Amino acid sequence: MAEKLRLKIITPEKLVFDGEVEELVAPGQMGEFGVLPGHVPFLSVLFPGRLRFKTEESGENTLIIHGGLADVKDDTISILTDQSENPEEVDVAAARKDSETLQKELDELQDTEASEREELDRKLRIARARVGE
Amino acid sequence: MPSLKQITTKIKSVRSTRRIMGAMKLIAAVRLQKAQAALMAYRPYSDAYRDVVLNVAALSESEDHPLLRIPEEKANLHVLFFTSDRGLCGSFNSALIRNMQSYVGEQSGVFGNIKLSFVGRRGRDYFSKSGVATGKYYTGVNERNSRKFSEELAAALTEEFRVGESDEIVLAYNHFVSAISQRMTFERLLPLSAQKSDSSATESSSDYIFEPEKERIIGSILPKYVQVRIERAMNESLTSEHAARMTAMENATSNADEVIAKLTLLFNKTRQAIITTELMDIVNGTEAQKGGNE
Repeated sequence: MAEKLRLKIITPEKLVFDGEVEELVAPGQMGEFGVLPGHVPFLSVLFPGRLRFKTEESGENTLIIHGGLADVKDDTISILTDQSENPEEVDVAAARKDSETLQKELDELQDTEASEREELDRKLRIARARVGE
Repeated sequence: MPSLKQITTKIKSVRSTRRIMGAMKLIAAVRLQKAQAALMAYRPYSDAYRDVVLNVAALSESEDHPLLRIPEEKANLHVLFFTSDRGLCGSFNSALIRNMQSYVGEQSGVFGNIKLSFVGRRGRDYFSKSGVATGKYYTGVNERNSRKFSEELAAALTEEFRVGESDEIVLAYNHFVSAISQRMTFERLLPLSAQKSDSSATESSSDYIFEPEKERIIGSILPKYVQVRIERAMNESLTSEHAARMTAMENATSNADEVIAKLTLLFNKTRQAIITTELMDIVNGTEAQKGGNE
């Protein structure tokens, strides 16, 4: 069993991260999950949220991802996401405001508008991940 | 022999053509650089996406999702053909069209009906007159709108496959190898199950954990996969087009230089010939006068 995990975070624009990590915590659709070396093959759809991973050099890292896929196989994790952001570069105040307006919109939405609800929910999760909730 | 005036006019016109081609070459070089950077960034993503999807498809049954359906017979083939909108890019389009023709020839033995859809004007212009059934046609695709176009196309093609209107969907585009080399590629987009021969397919599905359950995952990643691959093909084709145009314009510029050099030589020769003729006339004239005086 390998000691380390190889993590690749890939967006359509660039390879955000490619290196060895000790552990990873990702926002799965069924709740947050952690991956350690020796994990069984695993495929999960990710919600927008915060991705945390620990490396030897830089310690704990956090990235905001806009949903996507996580594929774990042979101690290699591939995270495929539409977009990723560095939490330090995010305007928290604006994100908090977004999050509040989106929550209100979501509350007022009728049950029938499922696709709209999904889209709003996605935006809300992104905003919340930016705020750091 | 042409007159000096004729030659100067000709040189001038070749010069101005050369200037235009030089400018087009520079534009193509800049656009190539941008497109290439975007393509190189997109390749890891689209390849990783394909690996994941093929892996899931290999672990799934064809009943799990309509997009995994294995057609019972090969009746309808739909090819999405990527060419450029504009010319002046060397043999880019003609080579694509030639390969496409032989591909259609080969496949007509396998499939009953072949339909072509087009991204780019050149391919459509050619095949609309050739008697092959034509489907959708998109023009004006560039680096900035390729996502929007690919989403639209993906939705249409997925639906077609789902309802059984096509049994196989193929992308035909130029794969960008380097600035001087592009290779035409035929990529089977659907059905996925026909690509099961990967070595990774040996794992049994019981070892793999899916979250949420496999059917839901397939439902969300398969349509996206189709879009990602179409966008990838668009990017490959656009980058190849810029590379081909740059090379073609570079050749044209150096050809123009050659023509200008030849014409300049001709100009000098002609001028010299005229001077020589005039001198001969003067000498002859003086000789004649001398003779008269004696």
